[in-house]
Amino acid sequence: MAKEVFMPKLSSTMEEGTLLEWFKEEGDSVEVGEPLFEIMTDKINIEVESYEEGVLLKRYYDVDAEIPVNAVIGYVGEEGENVPENPPEAGADNGEGAEEETARSEADASADEVQDGTGDDKVRATPAARRIAREANVNLASVQGSGPKGRRHEHDVKNVLDSTKATPLADKIAADQGVDLSAVEGSGPHGKVRKDDVLQHTTHAAAQSVPADDVERIKLKGLRKAVADKMVQSTTEIPHVTLTSEIDMTHVIDVRKTLLPIIEKQTGYRVSYTEILMKAVSQLMDAHPRVNASLDGNEIVLNKSVNIGLAVAVEDGLIVPSVKDADKKGLAQLTKVSKTLGQKARDNKLTPDEMAGSTFSISNLGMYAIDGFTPIINPPETAILGVGRIVEKPVVIDGEIEVRPIMTLSLSFDHRAIDGAPAAAFLTDLKERLENPYGLLI
Amino acid sequence: MREITYSEAVREALSQEMRKNDDVYILGEDIGVYGGAFGVTRGMIEEFGPDRIRNTPISEAGIAGAAVGSALTGMRPIVELQFSDFITIAMDQMANQAAKIRYMYGGKGHVPMVLRTPSGSGTGAAAQHSQSLEAWVAHIPGLKVVQPSTGYDAKGLLKAAIDDDNPVIFYEHKTLYGTKSDVPEEQYSIPLGQAAIKREGTDVTIVAYAVMVPRALEAAKELEKEGISVEVVDPRTLVPLDKETIVKSVSKTGRVVVAHEAVKRGGYGGEIASMIAESDAFDFLDAPIKRLGGAESPIPYNPELEKAHVPQVPDLIQAVKETLNKA
Repeated sequence: MAKEVFMPKLSSTMEEGTLLEWFKEEGDSVEVGEPLFEIMTDKINIEVESYEEGVLLKRYYDVDAEIPVNAVIGYVGEEGENVPENPPEAGADNGEGAEEETARSEADASADEVQDGTGDDKVRATPAARRIAREANVNLASVQGSGPKGRRHEHDVKNVLDSTKATPLADKIAADQGVDLSAVEGSGPHGKVRKDDVLQHTTHAAAQSVPADDVERIKLKGLRKAVADKMVQSTTEIPHVTLTSEIDMTHVIDVRKTLLPIIEKQTGYRVSYTEILMKAVSQLMDAHPRVNASLDGNEIVLNKSVNIGLAVAVEDGLIVPSVKDADKKGLAQLTKVSKTLGQKARDNKLTPDEMAGSTFSISNLGMYAIDGFTPIINPPETAILGVGRIVEKPVVIDGEIEVRPIMTLSLSFDHRAIDGAPAAAFLTDLKERLENPYGLLI
Repeated sequence: MREITYSEAVREALSQEMRKNDDVYILGEDIGVYGGAFGVTRGMIEEFGPDRIRNTPISEAGIAGAAVGSALTGMRPIVELQFSDFITIAMDQMANQAAKIRYMYGGKGHVPMVLRTPSGSGTGAAAQHSQSLEAWVAHIPGLKVVQPSTGYDAKGLLKAAIDDDNPVIFYEHKTLYGTKSDVPEEQYSIPLGQAAIKREGTDVTIVAYAVMVPRALEAAKELEKEGISVEVVDPRTLVPLDKETIVKSVSKTGRVVVAHEAVKRGGYGGEIASMIAESDAFDFLDAPIKRLGGAESPIPYNPELEKAHVPQVPDLIQAVKETLNKA
């Protein structure tokens, strides 16, 4: 006989749980004690283990569903057993999975009796409860009645309205940021407060603290909005780590000086350090595939081609065109493509294809008085290289102090995909390649 | 202020009006030297003489008929019936004559009379001397019905009843005669149809009249100890009924207990409950309307059974808790 899988009641205040992940597919076999799914309550995230051995026959809810405690969310049984197509009513048959103790009041028990009925039983509710439910657009059938025979009273409806005021995530964020939820306007059903409502409320509140006539307000829209969204996505989703290393640029400067007239003659463009860095980075990707990767959900995608994204500052925004197959291009071609793409970006003439598909990005602030910085990864990429200015510094070489042109490289990487050591190895190889740039020719 | 009893307050209302208004006189059984069955008119025959404090034969039909006739000719008679049970004998005069004449003659004649009569149980007077038959008269259009619960209310309402040009049935509760309250010495009038909120509260409304008012107040006091806030509304007059005050109170509390001593079946509480259910308060009701009334039996002679027959303080407490699902 198939056994129900229930949403557990993990605390006295828990009324519902949010399904975060299923660990088993329908049809998978399940052992006792094996994690079946993960839920988030108002307090914690927890993996819920199976009480039964058998096959997961049914999953009634998808990830992110908010499910009341003791609701049946699936069945475990023997292969081929029949289970209901739709989840049975919560609390209908508590079976073995239910954590509920006998502490429930008689009123609760009789409430269940009513709900156990054929389903088309009329809802018992006082006129006052009906009025409030009508005004707040609450389905009375979904309200647990505290009165005799499950009669819904005014306070039962009010309780539901209060308890559904915010999603668990919004609740958590509000608690973390010390936001008073009652001051937040909810955008969900019945004015339920969601994550975005809380975030919006906090930014709005911060903005409000400045007197209105002292500021000029610019609406986030178009490219600005796209950049903003992408930055928020990147910084909130990706655990960034930034490594820095100082590069002695003596030889790269020589190489550039030598190549400058040649490439200019060939292409009409002046080669810059960016292209040389691009060349060096591309050549290292074979040895460091994780740096040239994309994170897609729960998978790390190792990219075969090396497409270098080039951060280009444009009017009130940032665009990252992609230099395709950078590892297969010579410096002259890289220079031509980079310059062309840069110009197109500034002219707002890039095609979608030219902006897509980058596997690693370079952001060069070397034209400013910037030494190092912490670049933000361009998702779904897993790393980005920040380039600082070249500045003459005293360095110690073989026991002697010498003045050398030094440039700081800042490598930010996604710690979900790459660990510190391989990232450091990549940056070390890059330093090595730049300080001995003739390797570029090999 | 001066404290006097309910019966003294009634006597004072009668005397003060009779001193001012020669058209007012009292007629009833043994109201002269004996002072009436409950001593309300005691001493009045000395002041006003036997023409204005008129002893009558034992015939409620005759007394009521004489009052209707003299009222039609311009007097303002006050009838005293020894026990309200005997209004049954006066009923033809009250229901078919007093209540109808003004209407049937297009206002050419009217019947400005008051019928005072003691009602209720609690005196061990058994089934024929203990009833509360106010629903009988409240049913008749043309009769006004007053049920004061304190001496203060009794004095003011009696003045308004005497001043009214329509027949008024004025119930005085036997067990309230001895209760004391602050009553001003000067004459004053309490308009008929104006309820009194005897106690303010937020959780449950008790609508009670006559002897049920002090019981409701006692119950409210007990319930307050348990954190239950009871509002006690005394309509004071059943006809006309101050619907507005009751509806307002019930809209506020969302719960109501209607209590009277009269037998619950067909009692006036049913009228009040229906009025509430039909009113604006409906949308604010958060519990079924609860009625408390006497048992469906004649009032027993045995004092314990007599007590059990009518709602007492513990019954009111229980009823309030039931409306709160706390019983």
